[in-house]
Amino acid sequence: MAAQARMRSAKVLLINLGGLGTEIAKNLVLSGVGFLSLVDNHDVSEGDLSTQFFLSKDEIGTKRLDSAISRIQDMNPRVTLTVDTEDFRQKPDSFYGQFDLIIATDVSTEEAIRVNQLTRKFNVPFFLCGLNGLSGFIFVDLIRFDATDEKLKSSVKTPLGALSQNREVVEVTEYLNEEQSEVYERIVTRNAYKPFEQVLKEGTLKGKLTKRQVKRLTNAVPLTFALFSYRDGYAAVTRHDLEQRATDACVQLGLPSENLKQEYVEQFSQQAGLEFAPVSAVIGGTVAQDVINILGKKQSPLNNFIVLDGISLDMHIFEL
Amino acid sequence: MANASAVRLLGQENYERLRSSRVLLVGAGGIGCELLKNLVLMGFGEIHIVDLDIIDLSNLNRQFLFRQRDIKQAKATTAARAIEHVSNSKLVAHQANIMDVNQFPLAWFSQFSIFFNALDNLEARRYVNQMAQYLRKPLLESGTAGFDGYIQPIIPGATECFDCTTKETPKTFPVCTIRSTPSQPIHCIVWAKNFLFSQLFASSGSMSADEDLGTDNVEEIERIRQETNELHELQELIRSGDKTRIRDVFEKVFVKDIEKLLAIEELWKAREKPTPLYNFKFDEKINKNLNTVWTIQEQVNAFVLATEKLMQRLSSEKQIEFDKDDPDTLLFVAAAANIRASVFKLPLKSVFDIKQIAGGIIPAIATTNAIIAGLSSLASLRVLNLLKNQPKANPTELNMAFTAKASNMSNNRYLSNPQLGPPNPRCPVCSIARGVLTLSQNDLDTMRLSELVGAVQEKYSYSGEVSVLDKSTQRLLADFDFEDLLNKTLAEVKVARGTILLISDEQDSEESIRAPVELYIEQGEPEGINLPDIEVPLIKPAVVEPDETNSEEGVSMPGEIILDEDDKNPKKRHLDDASETPAKKALKTEEEHVVILD
Repeated sequence: MAAQARMRSAKVLLINLGGLGTEIAKNLVLSGVGFLSLVDNHDVSEGDLSTQFFLSKDEIGTKRLDSAISRIQDMNPRVTLTVDTEDFRQKPDSFYGQFDLIIATDVSTEEAIRVNQLTRKFNVPFFLCGLNGLSGFIFVDLIRFDATDEKLKSSVKTPLGALSQNREVVEVTEYLNEEQSEVYERIVTRNAYKPFEQVLKEGTLKGKLTKRQVKRLTNAVPLTFALFSYRDGYAAVTRHDLEQRATDACVQLGLPSENLKQEYVEQFSQQAGLEFAPVSAVIGGTVAQDVINILGKKQSPLNNFIVLDGISLDMHIFEL
Repeated sequence: MANASAVRLLGQENYERLRSSRVLLVGAGGIGCELLKNLVLMGFGEIHIVDLDIIDLSNLNRQFLFRQRDIKQAKATTAARAIEHVSNSKLVAHQANIMDVNQFPLAWFSQFSIFFNALDNLEARRYVNQMAQYLRKPLLESGTAGFDGYIQPIIPGATECFDCTTKETPKTFPVCTIRSTPSQPIHCIVWAKNFLFSQLFASSGSMSADEDLGTDNVEEIERIRQETNELHELQELIRSGDKTRIRDVFEKVFVKDIEKLLAIEELWKAREKPTPLYNFKFDEKINKNLNTVWTIQEQVNAFVLATEKLMQRLSSEKQIEFDKDDPDTLLFVAAAANIRASVFKLPLKSVFDIKQIAGGIIPAIATTNAIIAGLSSLASLRVLNLLKNQPKANPTELNMAFTAKASNMSNNRYLSNPQLGPPNPRCPVCSIARGVLTLSQNDLDTMRLSELVGAVQEKYSYSGEVSVLDKSTQRLLADFDFEDLLNKTLAEVKVARGTILLISDEQDSEESIRAPVELYIEQGEPEGINLPDIEVPLIKPAVVEPDETNSEEGVSMPGEIILDEDDKNPKKRHLDDASETPAKKALKTEEEHVVILD
């Protein structure tokens, strides 16, 4: 199978092996990705033991990667793993040019912007994901991606043209199925993406949601956005400051700020950047599933921003 | 050692509650392994894992707690051992069937705060749902099929139960049916594709001599070595590229392995024995028509031809994946499936038919299992009211979730998350008044069915005839025109601990009838017969339509009920049609022949 062969030759870089990185590594290794490079310079801390399952109690103080690597490899001896315990921030630009796909977890907004600039420079698909306690997010920048979906033709031919801000049908071919009894369509959808920095500056939901959707939209969306504005990490987050920034985020996104609920602001101010195993599993599973899909060049990929609200289990996909 | 992230999310007080909670995880397969990892990392105090299965080669690519050295070991105990290194939870593994009433009587279930279903079959799901209803304990139900998946919290009495809507879960086959006792052609196709083909051409999995086997037991090490050697013996033959060895592969698979199965006599007590393909020969006769069913000699020749081609390809391709559109792989699977079908005296199929069926086999997807298990464990916190900053939710404010984007149902939702519905008032399970009836061994041995029926009629004011159904086995024990068993003792009609009896009003009334009542038989030393004090209301009987397939009690039964006593007069009642539910949609697939391997 061509998709399998592409998977097996793909070189993927995963930045940071925290709870989320661990889930992604597990899923990619099980799926048989060809080459997985892990870069992480952290030592095993006590907190890691409640978010990660490749470490063990007696390994506190050793390098996370050194401890985890044999358990990761044990899941699938066929995957070629590369371990790098240097700080990814110290890597030269050229480092990022050697991969087919890069996934960043647990990085600050500033770091994400830099890595994304480099993935753009080297034309490499980029996934950014992170956790905020009961909530988690995924940002995707594939630069440009043509997806091919196949479906039974309905009474009208699928028209060419824009589907949404970032998606456009560019080619439709008809073909008969094996029994020669039904007409199918092979639809090529071109996905355009924007860099993270631009999405932070200009991304909006204005005109993209119905009134009802706006009303029911989870607070996790503007609050996740507000947390991005802490460029170098979450040390400065306070409840009051976060509320201010969430109000600003609502203005940019085109959401009514009066919908912000106190308990959500409270929750996000206390849980910014906090990892939690079940949320890691959902976000890590979603990222890995899409990475596998993209490496196999199959169906429409995620485009381009996803937020999970771990309380209501709301998980929308937004084009920003 | 406190779990820092859980404390911050739950607050100290709720975290203490989590630490002192005992939870039940039913199933240690694809979802179960993931769920166990999550529950352990979250810090639940005590986790019981129940699974009857042993680990099969085909599990390894997604059930991440299992390794090649664990093949043939119990899933439940292996999973618990594999996660122990990060666990602060007490883990209790049971290699057993959750429906075994002697090992797991109703009272055993009552020790848990919540049940997690991570099952692959409808029967066990229904059973645990029923236990949840008896004990009024919350249940987190979940399931996956390929890229589709769902989770559904069930709060007995307050939300829809598993049986409130008709379920249409795809077929699944137990591993032993595939590996040892096929009874349909599709079992042979699954074997050829997912076992034989993947073992010979798709996996490399080399095992070095000094690999840690996780045991010091000499006998055990020897057994694992032998198992592993057998596994790789065939691979070695294939990878040698020596075409004269195809004869050895053929003989191993279709003669020696079948002889080994024949040696396990208990497998064949109620089944027709397979016949090994002795005296096989290879010749040149090749049939090229993919739409006809070939002779066995043509199948054998096709097997040899396909194997030769694939062996050739292995020298340049590291491994080969099955693809129904790759003619070599398809021919191999079709021929192997048909030869096996012939050995087991099952009908053969054309290559074209096998292509359709093999293409419709949905593989389990590791990432779907991971996502669904994550959602299940996450949802449990709200069900158990353990989240900080969150007011206690009304049960119907809780959400279920099912895959939307991956299931091609939505472009802008990764998940759909409707709120839970209220119980279906016509649900065959949760709408029924229920209670526990404790009987002594003496009661069971001496009490006649008619006495029990009389007591029930009196206690719950059934004014006329009632029917009695043993729900555990779907046997009808008595109704207005079936009284043969009334004079037998309870023991004689096989009523024992764990039997669930459904008693329904058979009165022919248009005004009102008594609602049905369900009794779980527990064994103990009670004084006299104490039927549970439950309210059994009068209800309006359902309009009986001329169509005989409609149920008679005003509630529908899950599945068919077949009258016992040699099935002389099969009396069947059918499922009601229920509206399409998200969970049903999530599990619905386009293909007709659907097999989920798990």
